[in-house]
Amino acid sequence: MIQIEQLSKRFAVQRTGASGWRWPRAPKMWVQAVQDISLRAENGSITGLLGANGAGKTTTLRMLAGLMQPDSGRLLIDGHDVLRQRSAALAQLGMLSDARGLYPRLTARENIVYFARLHGLSDSQAQARADLLADLLDLRPLLGRATEGFSQGERVKTALARALVHDPANIVLDEPTNGLDVQATRALRETLRYLRSPAGGSKCIIFSSHIMQEVERLCDQVLVIAQGRIVASGSVPELLQSTGQPDFEDAFVQLAFASAAPPAIDSGRTQPAATQPGALQPYTYVGSADPGLVEPAVSRSGEAPCA
Amino acid sequence: MRVSTFFSAALAVLAKEIKDAWRDKRTLRMVVLLSVIQAPLVLLLVSTLVSEREQRLERRELYVQGIEHSPGMANFLARQSYTLRTPPPDALAQLASGSFDEAVLVIEADFDAKLQAQQSPTLEIIANSSSRRSSTAREQARSLVQAYVQERLSLGLALRGVGLGSLQAIMLQERDVASAGSRSAQLTGAMIPLYVLIAVLIGAMGPAMDSTAGERERGCLEPLMMNPVSPWALALGKWAAVSLVAIATATLTLCSFIPAQWLLHSEALQALFQFGWREALLCLGICLPFAAAVAALMMASSVRGKTLKEAQAGNSLVQLTMMLLPLVSLLHDAAEPAWYYAVPSLAQHTLMLRVLKGQALEPQHWLLPAGICLLFTLAALAYLSRALRAKAIA
Repeated sequence: MIQIEQLSKRFAVQRTGASGWRWPRAPKMWVQAVQDISLRAENGSITGLLGANGAGKTTTLRMLAGLMQPDSGRLLIDGHDVLRQRSAALAQLGMLSDARGLYPRLTARENIVYFARLHGLSDSQAQARADLLADLLDLRPLLGRATEGFSQGERVKTALARALVHDPANIVLDEPTNGLDVQATRALRETLRYLRSPAGGSKCIIFSSHIMQEVERLCDQVLVIAQGRIVASGSVPELLQSTGQPDFEDAFVQLAFASAAPPAIDSGRTQPAATQPGALQPYTYVGSADPGLVEPAVSRSGEAPCA
Repeated sequence: MRVSTFFSAALAVLAKEIKDAWRDKRTLRMVVLLSVIQAPLVLLLVSTLVSEREQRLERRELYVQGIEHSPGMANFLARQSYTLRTPPPDALAQLASGSFDEAVLVIEADFDAKLQAQQSPTLEIIANSSSRRSSTAREQARSLVQAYVQERLSLGLALRGVGLGSLQAIMLQERDVASAGSRSAQLTGAMIPLYVLIAVLIGAMGPAMDSTAGERERGCLEPLMMNPVSPWALALGKWAAVSLVAIATATLTLCSFIPAQWLLHSEALQALFQFGWREALLCLGICLPFAAAVAALMMASSVRGKTLKEAQAGNSLVQLTMMLLPLVSLLHDAAEPAWYYAVPSLAQHTLMLRVLKGQALEPQHWLLPAGICLLFTLAALAYLSRALRAKAIA
């Protein structure tokens, strides 16, 4: 199970002059990438993070994987705090990041086994897991080939096998269908359904995407992210019902862009964007406890954007 | 994290990095080629230059224009068993253009007459100082003329009844206290330490960049840092791999000097070039801490680069600094100041020179350089372990 509580993150943006030079003494500009995101993803379900490019999905997932320090909030993986018990938390997580990052001179098997060894598996255990995942993901013919020159689909499959090599209870997939053809996308979808099922280990899966159809077909619960905040949540039928739209894409556009405000940029002294007039109020989603659309949370006026 | 888990993760990283570096055949070929052939090539070059000079002296040939104007000189040169050759008609132009790389002794028409009349006739040696061979021939011609003048002077005084002993009021005696090793180090010391240091730098640079900036560029660092492994274990494994490659390159270079001695044509050079397995092992021992420090420094510098190109710019600075530091030793010809031992690269260069000169290595000589390298290594590794996570996102 994955829990995220009131997660916030902002980035400093360096001012750049017309000549391309950065002025070190120029006052910093801040972009609020993630603001007060809370979610709870249960075991045996697929939770979709749906948002446009730059909405804050990848930043949230990177914080979950311990790659970034949040400004505030908590991240729990099976009860382990990512910030305080990093190793224990990451041992329960398998993440397919946006950067597939395979080692081109190693074979697919070596790529998978390397990560297994880093997770503390013995060589024989690692080889056995590589074989098992090769069968599950239809990787067998690729195992002995160097990954240099792999197609996008082959790369995703190998990276997914690498992420699953230690049999994690929690799986996070950041835009996994990017660059995949229809056949590969369908195969991936089937794999994820299997992993969600009791036979596949009832994994807790978070699936981030900007492709409506993928989320619509796969996810049990959907969280719509816009400008760093969760603006709506629920199952697909619930989201359709709440917006009165028959088409999920129209529903998403209405939810994500209806009251779109420019990205929250400040110089570090102003109020958080959520408190600005016209800004969306943050929603809090609590997975299985309340799968329906939830009421807007209380406005956090006066609270600094970063702790 | 348990100690055994820490080290097993570091070992897994080390094994992967070595495998990765081994499969980078293009870089590997270049590094091996450079480290193996540079010693034979340089020795061959030096040997060719020296033996050419020796052959030139052995040939005993002299180009003279107007020898018919001085039978006395012709007689003297014949007694010195020199073969006299006539220069080409356009010798001056050919010398200037470099197509004729000899020296020409020009004797004017009234040379003997002026000599008899004690009017100090002029002899001219025409040479091209930009040509090494021509300069050698000029020195040869000059010493012959000086010997001829000395002979004539001695004979003239002897005819006037002056004893030859009074011509040499002072007996000059030279004593060379340099050991055989020191003399040998004039040749070996000029090339071996510098080439070994360069080998370490060349060997470390490729893997250092590939395992840091290369992984950032390929997007490999991000998934790697999502593993439950201590960043110190990752940094340690990667550093150990880069250090091993650097040490292997230095070993190849050192070993290549031993068979390369067979390429020396000159007997004088062969006698001078004293480099065996003992010297090779000692030099390797001196280089170990340096290789460790260079590997860590280059990785710390590379990890700041988002691409290999950016990393190369930073590494060039490290490489250039380490290559230039030994040149400081040119400032002090005799005993080296104590602070040399506190400067990486310069310290290792000085230590290797001591080995090649056959001087003893006291603990204070190698403890300080090794300690300094260890400090550099730890500082660079501490930075690397922090930067690996901070820079994981491309």
